[in-house]
Amino acid sequence: MRDEPSPGTRAALPIPALIAEALAGEMARDPSVLLLGEDVGRLGGVFGASRGLLERFGPDRVMDMPIAEMAFTGMGVGLAMAGMRPVVEIMFADFVGVCLEQMVNAAAKIPFMSGGRQRVPVVFKTAGGCIGSAAQHSQCLWGLFGHLPGMKVVVPSSPMDHKGLMAAAIRCDDPVLFVEHKRLLLSKARDSLQGAEVPEGEVVTPIGRARVARAGGDVTVATLSLGVEHALRAAAEVAPEGIGAEVIDLRSVVPLDMETVCASVARTGRLLVVDEDYLSFGLSGEVVARCLEALGPGALRQVGRLAVPDVPIPAALPLERAVLPGPEAIAARLRAMAVGA
Amino acid sequence: MRPNDPRILRHRRMLEMRAFDEACLEALRRGEIHGELHTGINQEAIGAAMAESLRPGDAVVSTHRNHFHALAKGVPARALLAEILERETGLCRGRGGHMHPFHPPTNFSATGIVGASLPVALGYAQAFRLRGEDHVAVGVTGDGGSHTGAFHETLVIAGARRLPLVVLVENNALAISVGFGDVSPTATVAERAGAWGARGMLVDGTDVDATAEAFAAAMEQARGGGGPVLLEATCTRARGHFEGDPDTYRTREEKRRLREERDPIALHRARLLAEGVGADALDRMAAEVRAETARLLEAVRADPLPDPAGAALYLWAEEA
Repeated sequence: MRDEPSPGTRAALPIPALIAEALAGEMARDPSVLLLGEDVGRLGGVFGASRGLLERFGPDRVMDMPIAEMAFTGMGVGLAMAGMRPVVEIMFADFVGVCLEQMVNAAAKIPFMSGGRQRVPVVFKTAGGCIGSAAQHSQCLWGLFGHLPGMKVVVPSSPMDHKGLMAAAIRCDDPVLFVEHKRLLLSKARDSLQGAEVPEGEVVTPIGRARVARAGGDVTVATLSLGVEHALRAAAEVAPEGIGAEVIDLRSVVPLDMETVCASVARTGRLLVVDEDYLSFGLSGEVVARCLEALGPGALRQVGRLAVPDVPIPAALPLERAVLPGPEAIAARLRAMAVGA
Repeated sequence: MRPNDPRILRHRRMLEMRAFDEACLEALRRGEIHGELHTGINQEAIGAAMAESLRPGDAVVSTHRNHFHALAKGVPARALLAEILERETGLCRGRGGHMHPFHPPTNFSATGIVGASLPVALGYAQAFRLRGEDHVAVGVTGDGGSHTGAFHETLVIAGARRLPLVVLVENNALAISVGFGDVSPTATVAERAGAWGARGMLVDGTDVDATAEAFAAAMEQARGGGGPVLLEATCTRARGHFEGDPDTYRTREEKRRLREERDPIALHRARLLAEGVGADALDRMAAEVRAETARLLEAVRADPLPDPAGAALYLWAEEA
């Protein structure tokens, strides 16, 4: 049982309010920071991640856009090339299909194509993950952007990182994709297993450093986003059985902090990657491959991947549960992998 | 007419642009450009017209056929040609190549994806508005690009926000092989402007004098806060879509006629001669331009190619 915090404490803040704090802080600090997208202004974002910003910063800096994603995504690219620091909200990650051209061929390639002479400091902020919205509103897609070179990809899990990674993304001189998880956006800081306390002042999480969310000696679980919460739950469940799971929150897909993962795997000899993105050609395979390359095949006694089998996300709850790597599936895999530990 | 008369300068600019693309063709023949090349030959009037009204702070976002727009914007010809020849001394250290030149000091950029120039130009226009600058963003596309979703979406936003954007459509009536008349729902692109609350303008883009006037009017309106302008300049493409295009979709006769009757340089020369400009003076100018461009090509040819060891460089800001 959790004690109900007294009203007004920061632990009661919804996760989107922490993102809004980061946006507000960066907008106050740097006049070139802007926010544009669908429903970011008057509504304050469909999850509330920009609530209050229109009132505070005005319609020049918080721009509600028509459903013209290709144009406003490219507008973000042009704004960034012209010296601004736009945050472009693409409401759901699934919608990138209609603006991928500007993300992939413009934002991600122009810095390189210009020989490093044209900066494109744009942030694409989007919500991924399953909340029962089926195939076209549930994807994570961070693996897709990890595969295509030129964009940093950050994925917050803890309340602290929702604030800190957004601030870091805005300050970064490269294009950054910031992928939220809808289930986390619908939660409050106090719901997190990773600590509810987030300072009111400035928080900047360095991009590219994974975090050990729980220490353990038997199996390394590399995951991110909501997967960290699931893995922590599973680790707590198997702990009384004598299984020590070390849970690593990757925090960013690009760059991928393999140093932290490999240091853990070098001790445990067992690696489980938990990913809510699709299984094939994605993050889970990449983490395993890099680990094998770094440590050599002999360093691993057990390797496992839990990710969405290669099907679109189904609508019905039992079907959705069947394809998602939840706490039960993770616990079962931990038990299987820890045999002989 | 004095040598510094704007119309003589206009003519000279067209000669320079053609000589520039002819130098590219020569480099291609010699194997000094290993990739695709799209020349703008027969479309010089539009580039020359742009050069007169573009100011240093304005932005141009161009297409795969971008050389003349870059020269019009004031991008250094030396570094542009070096980029086209894939040299380390190029605008982009040989990483962009001819379809992807970027020159931040003049706010010039391009894209090889048809129609994708316009959303980026929209961003520049919005930045100018936010900062209270009186610069204009010019997004260039072709008749093919006028059929993309990005074209429509860009004009929706620019029209609603009354942004200082000029959408310049170089209508050469061919999207590779697909004829404009065969796929366009309207007889012109310009007449669609009303749908977005933009001003539509149509000009004969082979007439450099008329195009310079039209482009100046478009820029003036956008600069003065009058909202976006959709300027369509009709023109022809003398060569294939790219060098190596078999160009079997047109007859020899048709191509000959385009070269003879719609060549903006020949048309302008005839006009200047009729107005009393001496043929000798124009010939001398043409010879000068050819010699200058030949020297430029020779200089660039001596530049080094990029070091393969740096193939992965410049993806991230810290490497720049």
